[in-house]
Amino acid sequence: MKSNSVRRLASACLCFGLLLGTALVRPVAASEPVADDVQKLADAIDKLIADQWKENSVSPAAPADDSEFFRRVSLDVTGKIPPAADAMDFLESLSPDKRRQVVDRLLEDPGYITHFTTFWRNVMMPEVNADFQVRFLVPSFDSWLRKQLTENTQYDALVKEILTTPLDSGQNNRRNPYQRLGEASPLAFFQAKQIAPENLASATSRIFLGIRIECAQCHDHPFDTWKQEHFWSLAAFYGGIERQGNQGIFGRVRELSDRRELNIPDTETVVQAGYLDGTEPQWRFRVGARTTLAGWVTSPENPYFARTAVNRMWGHFFGVGIVDPVDDFTAGNPPSHPELLDLLAKEFAVHNFDLKFLIRAITASRTYQLTSRKTDERTDDPQLFARMAVKGLSGEQIYDSVAQATGSYRPYNARNPFSFGGNDPRGEFLETFANNTDATTARQTTILQALAMMNGQLVANATNLSQSRSLAAVAEFPGLTTAERIENLYFLTLSRKPRPEEIERLVKYVERGGEKSDPKKSLGDVFWALLNSSEFMFNH
Amino acid sequence: MTSKRTRQQITTGISRRDLMRLSALGLAGYSQSGWLKALAEGTANDPKRKRACILLWMTGGPSQMDTFDLKPAHKNGGPIKPIETAVPGVKISEHLPKLAKMMQHVVPVRSMNTKEGDHTRATYLLRTGYLPQGPIHYPTLGSLLSNELGSEKNELPNFVSIAPYRFLSPAAYQPGFLGPRHAPLVVGGPGVNVVRPGSDNYTQALQVKNLGLPGGVDLQQADDRLALLNDLEEDFGTSRPGVIESSHRNSYEAAVRMMRSESVKAFTLDEEPDKLRDSYGRNQFGQGCLLARRLVERGVPFVEISLNGVQGSNSFAWDTHRNNFESIEKLSEVLDPAWATLLEDLKTRGMLDSTLVVWMGEFGRTPTINRNKGRDHFPGAWTTVLSGGGIKGGQSYGETSADGMTVKDNPVKVPDLLATVSRALGIDPTKQNISNVGRPIRITDTEAKPIEEILV
Repeated sequence: MKSNSVRRLASACLCFGLLLGTALVRPVAASEPVADDVQKLADAIDKLIADQWKENSVSPAAPADDSEFFRRVSLDVTGKIPPAADAMDFLESLSPDKRRQVVDRLLEDPGYITHFTTFWRNVMMPEVNADFQVRFLVPSFDSWLRKQLTENTQYDALVKEILTTPLDSGQNNRRNPYQRLGEASPLAFFQAKQIAPENLASATSRIFLGIRIECAQCHDHPFDTWKQEHFWSLAAFYGGIERQGNQGIFGRVRELSDRRELNIPDTETVVQAGYLDGTEPQWRFRVGARTTLAGWVTSPENPYFARTAVNRMWGHFFGVGIVDPVDDFTAGNPPSHPELLDLLAKEFAVHNFDLKFLIRAITASRTYQLTSRKTDERTDDPQLFARMAVKGLSGEQIYDSVAQATGSYRPYNARNPFSFGGNDPRGEFLETFANNTDATTARQTTILQALAMMNGQLVANATNLSQSRSLAAVAEFPGLTTAERIENLYFLTLSRKPRPEEIERLVKYVERGGEKSDPKKSLGDVFWALLNSSEFMFNH
Repeated sequence: MTSKRTRQQITTGISRRDLMRLSALGLAGYSQSGWLKALAEGTANDPKRKRACILLWMTGGPSQMDTFDLKPAHKNGGPIKPIETAVPGVKISEHLPKLAKMMQHVVPVRSMNTKEGDHTRATYLLRTGYLPQGPIHYPTLGSLLSNELGSEKNELPNFVSIAPYRFLSPAAYQPGFLGPRHAPLVVGGPGVNVVRPGSDNYTQALQVKNLGLPGGVDLQQADDRLALLNDLEEDFGTSRPGVIESSHRNSYEAAVRMMRSESVKAFTLDEEPDKLRDSYGRNQFGQGCLLARRLVERGVPFVEISLNGVQGSNSFAWDTHRNNFESIEKLSEVLDPAWATLLEDLKTRGMLDSTLVVWMGEFGRTPTINRNKGRDHFPGAWTTVLSGGGIKGGQSYGETSADGMTVKDNPVKVPDLLATVSRALGIDPTKQNISNVGRPIRITDTEAKPIEEILV
């Protein structure tokens, strides 16, 4: 009886699912053909991680329960909390393989495309946060990324397409990019780097190879083996690019694609193109310098390429990389689990640089599925991965999760690069929650963020009975006990059942009676507290 | 129970329960609240009170030739005439007459010599001391300095930014690797569209967003909600303690503390006499300067106010590519009373010696006048100004050539200027912070040389 009425309400809440553009009933995808490989890699991860626990005499935290896992993996894969009804379904499902199945389903959710478009754009175009001109380029780069993610383009092919994108204005007949906002193209990568060889060299190196060689631009690297000549030899692959006219990054570009040398600015020195490891490029007839470079960068034999990619993904899911910061592979910053890094890189390459394979394997590991509860001081070292880290959410994740919980979703215009200007609710929210700290495990809340959540319009509407669809449904659906209404609020926000002591406490609050008491209003207070709680605001 | 409480007090000085004590007392109980009262007493009239900085940010890059480094004898000079000031030999623009009378507290630095002529990059350079470089997120000046001068226990945030025009260079306004705890409290709404250049809607603009309870929620209900939240936080904080959880709690406490503090009345400008408000100027910048004084008075160590434009000006603020002279006159009419009154007001209240007021934009403007009667971007030889406490006012520093095109002596680079600002505030500019890439970064670049001649 009780679970029936909760179920009915869940269906009522599910109407919001339609508004959110998600399917009401989603079939569970059939197991992937590579299923065994996924499990094999997940097991191998767990073994290598467990070896270090043993070495350090650490006993890991307990496994996360279904609710903790489902909320976490939804935020990590689709960038928002699951709909309440999905969270209930997941909890009740008896399928022994349900965690693997739900990841397969989330990878087909539009949220995966949206979330990882933001993820890869932040990785590849960090300039967006610093330079307003570059914001004009976001729609174009984002739609290109969305296309790649929709098609699940192999990661090596994706990077190759960026690095070899035609630049010469004569070749690609490029008009003023202001006029073609939104046209899918990775060209923005070059524009964000000012179409300058030295910027492109440091970006190529840092983003795709995990090597921060930019220090070597002016002097030999202080902490490492990189010399100034390595930097400029890498830049020389971009030596044929030349900006024309005075329109900056929006102007025309000329490219002599077979130019393989570069004049170091303000010097007489001419440097020949050469790889970072000192090997000579194998030049081929009529193959341009950038194409040659792209081949080397993305080669399965390149020791850095796959490692950097898997380390980045690991960092995304665990909050901390095996090498951390994730783009700082140096002798002075060794990996916490070198064998694991090698194994992930090898398997990633063997499986055609398939990002979804990597995500399936990581999320299938017992290591990923540990609770974030602290049970033992010795689990504190984040690079032991002995319990899940608590991660801060991005502004996008918070907004989209509040929208998910409250049913107040207003789709944002992905083609408007200026949504940061505060002229739409999501843009205003994102600006308040903009965060320049790379590490999700070091995110801090600001006073303005606290004020926005406590008193701002979004949450005020969500917790106001006459404005909020979710709250009205929970408070007014006939035939429910107070405990059931509270349970629904928990599923809407925290994606879990309330614990008995929470139920007891909150039922007492809602039903406390008295002159001014209004149970419906009190449910709004409970909803408010849940939306403002650390448990809602963080991924754990 | 007891031991847990002790642990929390050690880590934050304020236990989680205190949040509740604070809220349960509400506004009426404010003055009885033990620790809060102690804090309030701590900030006012503390003889060891640290210094404060007010930054007057001139969006767009102000023309030195028409403000502080006039060249009447040269054809580059233009129509604006110099006038005598309180300091013999130091002349400034005729459109800054009130400031001229306060010149004994002012030092124009006329030999700024920088390399960036692009708004985005130059704004970043002047406001962080560094050029954008790879993955390092350099903190904006207000975050850097308030980190040194501020206290976690202030009722108000340590860094308040009034009407920032962040559009051209968003990263130049962020706390960078110091983290969001050092982010400014922004007054004037988050969006660049909210505070339009020239807007006279300053009353609304100078309020803190979301400071008031949402409509229909009274104090009792707010307290009920905080009590519910507190229970949730207890559970989460016990099971998952760490920097994230404690920062969430700290910022909620700070927000509630501010919402309910006496100090938040700093934002109630109506408390000031009409005459004084008039004297600052009835516009956003003038009232912003008044707000800055009220904030500094209540212990806020860093406040910045941007002058983004005036009504009737045809350009965005100081970016006077066209009709430079008319625009400068209008801008000066806003700048002059606000700045001069600010210095006067600080002096009257005995706060001038401990408050440094800095005036700068991202670069200067070309000495040559273009065919639109405008001046273009010019970083080669330009002026910034220090005034108030920590410096030896009543002099000018550095000199440019007769045509204004080059610095004749004592060139000052951006790190030199910011090192001087730090020293004037009693801060060691060579102090290092750990950056987001793990490398220690000094407050100002290693090569920075503070201008000893103008420091107290």
